[in-house]
Amino acid sequence: MKSAWASALVVPPLAMTALFFVAPVLYLFWVSLHEASPSELYGAALTLQNYAAVFADSFYVAIIRRTLAVAAVILGLSLVIGYPVAYFVALLPPRRRMLVLLLLLFPLMVSNVVRAYGWVALLGRRGVVNTGLASVGLIDAPLDLLYSTPAVVVGLMTILLPYMIISIANALAALDTRYEEAAQALGAGPVRTFLHVTLPLSTPGVASGTLLVLLLTLSAYVTITLLGGPRSKLLVSMIYDGVTAFQWPHAAALAFILLALALALTMLVLALLRPARVQGTGR
Amino acid sequence: MSDAQIDVRLAAVRKSFGSVVAVHNVDLEIRRGTIFSLLGPSGCGKTTTLRLIAGFERPDAGDVYIRGERVTPIPPYRRNFSMVFQSYALFPHLSVAENVAFGLRMRGMARSRRAEAVRDALALVKLDPLADRYPRQLSGGQQQRVALARAIVVKPAVLLLDEPLGALDKMLREEMQIELRSLQQRLGITAVFVTHDQEEALTLSDRVAVMRNGIIEQTGAPREIYDRPRTEFVAGFLGASNFIDGTVVAREGDTATVETSAGRASLRGDSAIGQRVRIAIRPERLRMERFDGAGLPARVRDIVYRGPVTHFYLESAGGPLISYQQNAGANEWAVGDQVRCAWDPESAVVLGSGRA
Repeated sequence: MKSAWASALVVPPLAMTALFFVAPVLYLFWVSLHEASPSELYGAALTLQNYAAVFADSFYVAIIRRTLAVAAVILGLSLVIGYPVAYFVALLPPRRRMLVLLLLLFPLMVSNVVRAYGWVALLGRRGVVNTGLASVGLIDAPLDLLYSTPAVVVGLMTILLPYMIISIANALAALDTRYEEAAQALGAGPVRTFLHVTLPLSTPGVASGTLLVLLLTLSAYVTITLLGGPRSKLLVSMIYDGVTAFQWPHAAALAFILLALALALTMLVLALLRPARVQGTGR
Repeated sequence: MSDAQIDVRLAAVRKSFGSVVAVHNVDLEIRRGTIFSLLGPSGCGKTTTLRLIAGFERPDAGDVYIRGERVTPIPPYRRNFSMVFQSYALFPHLSVAENVAFGLRMRGMARSRRAEAVRDALALVKLDPLADRYPRQLSGGQQQRVALARAIVVKPAVLLLDEPLGALDKMLREEMQIELRSLQQRLGITAVFVTHDQEEALTLSDRVAVMRNGIIEQTGAPREIYDRPRTEFVAGFLGASNFIDGTVVAREGDTATVETSAGRASLRGDSAIGQRVRIAIRPERLRMERFDGAGLPARVRDIVYRGPVTHFYLESAGGPLISYQQNAGANEWAVGDQVRCAWDPESAVVLGSGRA
């Protein structure tokens, strides 16, 4: 009875997803398997050339590498910075915790474009940082802070870090303190209690934060375009370039490579963290 | 009793949370190899007392000793105890065997010896076939056994149990009580058991401390607590009791005669003539006799048949009384009957005013 109701509730969103997401994605895949056409969306002949060309071209391979590297660096930094912050947020009493989480969400209320231009104003050749450093005599010529991969990393971090912190903080706050007490009762000191109990039990939060950060990094566009400039392009930028050049099958193939990367990374994260083993068995 | 036999000692321990005094100058001693129950209603301070022994709470005053060592300033993970939690707190990411091995791992026992100890502990609770399962794949009773195995495998100086059977259904709970008792006796474990269930405390314990408002009202063997309650609270919390007020009017040897509003009654004790007393008599000790006999006159108001016993609700000039009668023979009473209530002098207990 209960499961019948639950199934009924799932039908409309599933139908929507099938109609407006799965079907178009399949069509996109179909497009990516065709040669380009000067006049149509795609040409007549079926081909794997769109994929082969990407992997044969060192330029694209470098971009894929850079995309993965940026994602890895952002993920690593968000974990290293985010976990300790989340840990202390989770220790706060509920009202204060809510307040801090709202504060963390505040930057997300500002549009991506506005925030990215904020970074431009800060990091540009005549931006706040360069003029500041020059005025105190630390530098003679302005530094190239903007339009670089580090600028992209910094820009994305400010958007993505809150996702990581909030995910982990919620998982930690929901953790029954009895587990930590049980570990202490069995002789585990604070460090081992954290390593053997708290950390593994927070993996659902770590996994969802990791997936959010990874997937949002892979699909970010505004920030990497405005802060990365032409020299620090990522996979998403190439898809956009392909579309603006009317190379539909080529852009579709790049989109699928990105999707495959996202799926592979998701599986990797879930396989490594295995969040399901500490989650409920379902009701 | 020599100090060497005392595994846990609390000396004038006090603990407040804000303005609420949870534990108020508690002294207690727990002998090696015995089960000591902390019994009381919720909020009486029994769980706080347990957590003070564990070190999860630090006392505001007083000291905690485990095996003679003063552990008051020592954190939980350096104290020689283990604990079974009400919710079991089994680690969900570890298998049954890994859960049981956790304490041994933290104590640095070699892997090979660990496996053997884990196997033995699981065999003790009859769960050896489930070693590779995860907690979520077990029933409540099985999880309870794993929690027990995890706690006893480290051979603690004292095993703390925080209402460990509370989440089980009645049948399973009674089965586990007996199993826990036999396991404890076989291994000679010292245990502190927190419960609000008086039957559980009587069944399991060597000694029971009845707590109320952060104070231990009475400590004693189950029989002593039940038969010789010192306060009205203890008498009322452990089963039903008849309370009768009166004044001592005569004494002969160690038997005193008490004048009550319903008539004269006798009791054993050293009360002085003229002293006002409140006495308690267990319903099963209150006899009903024919109206022409001796005792307090009363009238049968209600009769409730309960299988092995019948409960008689009586009215006397001193207030309501209850009497439990074994259903061995035919029931000779009917509602409205006039009876006399009597008891053996040693069945009546003189209650103190409160703090024992």
